[in-house]
Amino acid sequence: MSDMKTSLKRMIAAAGAVVMMTSIAGSVSAMESYDPYSYDRWGDAVSSQVGYSAERFVDGKLIDGLAAKIEAMEGYDYDKEEWKQLLQLKEPQDIFIDHNQLMYIVDKGNNRVIVTDLEFNMVNYLDKFTYNGETLTLSSPQGVFVDPETDMVYIADTENSRVIKCDYEGNVDRLFEKPASEIYTQELTFKPEKVVVDKAGNVYIVVGSVTKGAVMYDANGEFLGFFGANRVEATAEIVVNAFWNTIATEAQREHMTKSTAIGFDNFDIDDEGFIFTVTESQDVETDTVKKVNPEGTNILHTIIDEDTVFGDHNPAYWSIYSKRSSIVDIDIGENGYINLLDFVHGRVFQYDEKTNLMFVFGGTGNQLGTFLSAVALESYDNRMYVLDSRKNGITIFKRTQFGEIVTEATNKYNDGLYDESEQPWRDVIKYDGNYRRAYIGIGNALLNRNEYKEAMKYFKVAISRKRYNRAFEGYRDQLLQKYLTPCVVIIIVLAVVIKVLQILEKKAIITFPWTRRRGG
Amino acid sequence: MLDLTQGQFVRHVVMHPFEGFEDLRWKKSGDMRIATAIVCLLFFQQLAYSRLYGFQYYSSYDKVFNIIPFFFRSFGIFLLYVVCNWAMCTLFDGEGALKNIYIVTAYSLIPYIAGSLIGTLLSHVLIKDEYIFIQTVEWIGLGWTVVLFISAMKAVHQFSFFKTILLIALTLVAMVLCIFLLVLLLTLFQQVLIFIFTIYTELSYRLRV
Repeated sequence: MSDMKTSLKRMIAAAGAVVMMTSIAGSVSAMESYDPYSYDRWGDAVSSQVGYSAERFVDGKLIDGLAAKIEAMEGYDYDKEEWKQLLQLKEPQDIFIDHNQLMYIVDKGNNRVIVTDLEFNMVNYLDKFTYNGETLTLSSPQGVFVDPETDMVYIADTENSRVIKCDYEGNVDRLFEKPASEIYTQELTFKPEKVVVDKAGNVYIVVGSVTKGAVMYDANGEFLGFFGANRVEATAEIVVNAFWNTIATEAQREHMTKSTAIGFDNFDIDDEGFIFTVTESQDVETDTVKKVNPEGTNILHTIIDEDTVFGDHNPAYWSIYSKRSSIVDIDIGENGYINLLDFVHGRVFQYDEKTNLMFVFGGTGNQLGTFLSAVALESYDNRMYVLDSRKNGITIFKRTQFGEIVTEATNKYNDGLYDESEQPWRDVIKYDGNYRRAYIGIGNALLNRNEYKEAMKYFKVAISRKRYNRAFEGYRDQLLQKYLTPCVVIIIVLAVVIKVLQILEKKAIITFPWTRRRGG
Repeated sequence: MLDLTQGQFVRHVVMHPFEGFEDLRWKKSGDMRIATAIVCLLFFQQLAYSRLYGFQYYSSYDKVFNIIPFFFRSFGIFLLYVVCNWAMCTLFDGEGALKNIYIVTAYSLIPYIAGSLIGTLLSHVLIKDEYIFIQTVEWIGLGWTVVLFISAMKAVHQFSFFKTILLIALTLVAMVLCIFLLVLLLTLFQQVLIFIFTIYTELSYRLRV
């Protein structure tokens, strides 16, 4: 009786423990306001763990020192609306973290650039610039870049049709304005949106009205031409148009629609000096993400397949709620990680340098970690900063423990340290059994140690035929080395025995029960 | 001459592509049971080809599995061909009866099935660089079946070569037509069923009120 009681108690206790554990597990994922997911080998979404977790949200009021700066200004009046809005960010458009770990926030609605450190203490406030004794102000600026070689700040002063190159104090060194060259169609406006500077000091400017690529200047402000245009996507309509174009006369051709590629919308430059561009349009699939070499050609296809999808896969066309990703910003982080910001779904996609998807996080909404209008993205160390132009603030994401392990494993793996990456990959699987790259990582480590059979198992789970083939080749060689000699011996012996029996039968010394006598 | 059992005749037919089927017809040989077994083998071959192939060559999307397409790809297509061929040959004064067409068509499939099954087996032994061997085996099987197939049609209907080719082409056209009609029929039936069901629901609502 008492035995039964204790066993019953034990059962209840066990059940309670299970309930508690599941509720803890539930509360862990409930901390995010969205379901984390990833994509498997077939491009289907599978549930995953969060790689980055939203830490806090910083708006203008939380920038330390901004209010003091505004209040100290001449004519400050808290009751007036135009002063009040200066205490907040208003439609900020871009953020940039420079080599000194300072963050530049382009506050478009307030025509200023706020510089803070990564703890959001304001260290500089750029709204007035001096140029040859004149004072310049900004008008709806949309982009900023700091050149690590020269410490110069480049601000895309959009509505003033110029890019300002100034030092840290706001002393303007040079203005980049609309090129007078005839290569630049003079009817087009010149509204710079984003700016990037390469190591040689060449300045690349994304201009909304230009589809031929970025407008490119050399360090002396000389217009050089256009850089890195997108290709036209070969849709059926464009192929048909191209056909008619070849047989049309000159006069007819003037009346036909011309196919123009969509210009890219944002870019970033990596440590090696390669420029990555992203195209926001939801209608095109080609060249949404490019890695452009100094010649202006896309070299991303040398490492990945032509049909690699960035952002969300398989948009459900039958649903009005599910749309294709629209990548508004790109950031090349440490180790060449590619971070993409999807405006439509408010999601951040992190890829490693070989464009393997690592994490997807974020979403649309009002909670912490989701966005109304995500426009810019920067990463530093283990944090990711996402700017929302309607929430007027920056959301800070911190890498989770799971994220740390995956990052460690990925870095080791990409450096070719397969054996060292095995343990972290095994830890990854403990967190997330759907994480395909972990299986590939472990498989490669096993392959490296000539444990072919185990490697085959892992590659099969990962559905990686190419690697499986390699492991299988090794496994087969092992088997052959082991069993080839005995097999050959057995076959030869069998052949001899059969031959002997046949000869004996022919001489009618023995008869087999299954052979009929011919002609008999 | 040619006092062969049914089983031996199968081997004779496969090994003698040019007179085997003539002999089969002359001897009024051929077994429905063997033919049906061959079609069943075709079904398993189709299954094996898409599910049991060596992983390094092909990995199927294994989250869903539906066996109906495999039934259609083996039994469905085979029966459709036999019926359509018979329907066509009556217009062309062919001599083959439905049963004969069934038997010779099945017999002529043997090399294809064998080649494909051997290929599937080899795919578990060979690596990707050696795919050419598998391909060779599979192509030989397929080519052999094509030769047997034309020879079978020619023998069973006692046609000239060109008339045989014409008949096969017309049979294919007839098969497409058949499938089209079947789809049409199915949709119509569906609509009729929906119509009846609508009346039923309507009535049941009225009765309830």
